[in-house]
Amino acid sequence: MISQYLFYFLSFVSVMSALMVVFSKNPVYSVLFLILTFFSIAGHYFLLNAQFLGMVHIIVYAGAIMVLFLYVIMMLNLNKEDEPGTTTMSKIAATISGGILMLVLVAATRSVHGMESPVADSSQIGSIENLGKVLFAENGFLLPFEISSILFLASMVGAVFLSKKEIR
Amino acid sequence: MNELLTLTGLGLFSMIAEIFNFRKAIFPVIVLGLLGLLGLCYMDWGSYNSTVTHFSMMKVDNFSIAFTSVLTATALFWFMMSRSFFEDQTSMSDHFSLVLFALTGAFCLTSFTNITMLFLGVEVLSLPVYVLTGSRKRDVASNEASFKYFLMGSFASAVFLFGTAFIYGATGSFNLENIATYLSTQPQLSPLFLVGLLLMLSAMAFKVGAAPFHFWTPDVYEGAPTIVTAFMSTIVKTAAVAAFFRLFYLSFSGIHGEYADIIWAMAALTMVVGNVIAAAQNNVKRILAYSSVGHAGFMLITILVMNDFAAKSLLYYTAAYSAAGIAAFLVLYLVGSANNGETPLNAFDGLVKRNPIMAGTMTMALLSMAGIPPLAGFFAKYFIFVSAVENGYIGLVVIAILSSLVGVYYYFKIIIAMFFGKPDNLPTYFLTPIHRFLLLFVAAIIVLTGLFPDFVMGLMTI
Repeated sequence: MISQYLFYFLSFVSVMSALMVVFSKNPVYSVLFLILTFFSIAGHYFLLNAQFLGMVHIIVYAGAIMVLFLYVIMMLNLNKEDEPGTTTMSKIAATISGGILMLVLVAATRSVHGMESPVADSSQIGSIENLGKVLFAENGFLLPFEISSILFLASMVGAVFLSKKEIR
Repeated sequence: MNELLTLTGLGLFSMIAEIFNFRKAIFPVIVLGLLGLLGLCYMDWGSYNSTVTHFSMMKVDNFSIAFTSVLTATALFWFMMSRSFFEDQTSMSDHFSLVLFALTGAFCLTSFTNITMLFLGVEVLSLPVYVLTGSRKRDVASNEASFKYFLMGSFASAVFLFGTAFIYGATGSFNLENIATYLSTQPQLSPLFLVGLLLMLSAMAFKVGAAPFHFWTPDVYEGAPTIVTAFMSTIVKTAAVAAFFRLFYLSFSGIHGEYADIIWAMAALTMVVGNVIAAAQNNVKRILAYSSVGHAGFMLITILVMNDFAAKSLLYYTAAYSAAGIAAFLVLYLVGSANNGETPLNAFDGLVKRNPIMAGTMTMALLSMAGIPPLAGFFAKYFIFVSAVENGYIGLVVIAILSSLVGVYYYFKIIIAMFFGKPDNLPTYFLTPIHRFLLLFVAAIIVLTGLFPDFVMGLMTI
C-alpha cells in the first residue's frame, strides 16, 4: 500500500519537474529541475527493487552529467533569457505534430489497462546478481556489452580529434 | 564473427599506430585488411547454419555476407579515392580509426538478430560520422552540418529507444525471432506494439533519409567535406537500408498489413520530394544530396515488397548506387578542390575538354543513377519495379517511373553542362595515377554489373 502511494508521489514529482524543465525561462533552473527529475526516476528504480540501476542513475546522471550541464551553461554564460527566434509557423507545426504523437501514445497506453505483462514478474529481477548474470552470460548481453566499448572508444577518439591542436 | 574482429582490430591498429610512429603503415595495412575481409566473406559465404547465432546476438548469413562484401568493396574504393583526406599529419590516425569504427557499426547493422545490436550498430556507425562531418574545423558550414546531424541523429536514436521500450513491453523480448514468434501466435496485437513499431519505423526512416524525415540530408551532405559526403551517401546509406530491411524481414514481416500503407506513402513521398527538389537545385553537391533522398525512396519499395527477390534487388540497387556514388563524388571532389570547395553547376562547364576521363566517368555514373540501359542503375530500378508489380503495387511503380523521369532531367543538366558548356577561365585537371585508375575501374564496374546482374544478385540466397 505504501509503495503505491510512493509511486504516485514520485510520478507526480517527476512529471511536474520534467514539465518545469521545459517551461522555465532560466537555463539554470531547468538544470536544477532536471536533477529533481532524475532523482525521482531513481526513486522509481528503487521501488522496482533495482537498487543498482537506481544508484548508477543517481551517480551518473544526477552527479556527473548534471555537473557538465551546469559547467557548460556557466561557461557559455547562457543564463540570460534569450531564446533564438523561432517562427510562429514552426511553433504551430511543432505543437500539431507533438500533439498527434501524444494522442497516439495516450490512446495506446489507455487500452493496455488490465492486460497481462509478457515478462515474468520477479521481484529480484533488478538485483545486482541478476543484472550481472544477464549482462555477462554467454547467451545474454555479452556481445552488446563489448560492442559498446567500441562505441565509447569511437566517441573518445572523436572528442580528441575535434579538440586537438594542429601540428604545424 | 571474424569479420567483426578484423574490423575492430584494424580500427584499434590505426588508433595505436600513431603512438609508435607507424603512420606510413596504416594505409597499406588497412587496404590489406579490407582485402582479407573480402576473403573472409568469400570463405564464409554459403556456409551458414540457420541455427548458429553468435552469442544469440548476431547471425552471419548470406544476407549479411552479401551486404558486408558490398560495404567492404565500397570502403576499399572510398579509401583509395580519399588518400588526400588522410594526409593531414595531425589527425591521420583519428580519421582512419573513426572510419573503421563506423565500418564495424555497419557490419553489426547487416548481421544483427537482436534489437540491442541494431541500436548499438546504428550508434557505432553514426557517432564517427557526426565527427567526420565536422572534420573541417575552421569551416562554419562543416561545423553547422556536424552539429545539426548530431542533434537530429541523437533525437532519432531517442525515438528509436522509445519504440524499442514499447516493443519490449509488448513482447517481452529484444530478440527478433522471439518477436516474430510472438506476432505469429498472438491473435490480437497489443496497441503498445503498434506504437513501438511506428516509433522504430520513424527512427529508421530518419537514418536512411526518407521523407518526411529527410530535412537533415541536404544541409548535412552539403556542409560535410565532399569525401565524407561520399562515405555517407554510399556506406552509411547501404548499411542503414540493409538494417531497415533485415529488421522488418526477420521480425515484423508477419504483420505486413499493419505497416504496408505507411511505407507505401513514405516511399512515394520520398521519391517525389527527393527528385522534384533536386531538379530545382543549381549546386551539384546539393543535386546529389537530394537525389540520394530520391534513391532512398526506391530502396524503400523493397521493404514494402519484402520477399527474397526484393532482398536481392535491394542488394543490387545498393551495389549499383554505391559504385555510381563513389564515381560521382570523386569527380565532384576533384572539381570542388580546384574551385575553393564550391561546386556550382557552371564549374562543370566543358569538363569533357578539360579532362575527358573525369567527364566520361561522371557521365556513366549519372546515367547509371538516372537508370539508362545498359548500365547497372537501369537493372537495379528494373528489378525493384518488377518485384513491386508482381506484388500488386502498380500505383507506386507509376509514381516511381515518373519521378525517375524527373531524375533524368537533372542528371542531364549536369551532363549537358559537361559536354556543351564553354570552359572559359576554368582550370584543367591532372589526375594522380590512383585516381585515374579508380575512375576507369569504377566506370568498368558500372558497365559490368549492368551486363552481368546475376553475379551480384546471386550473392544473396536467403
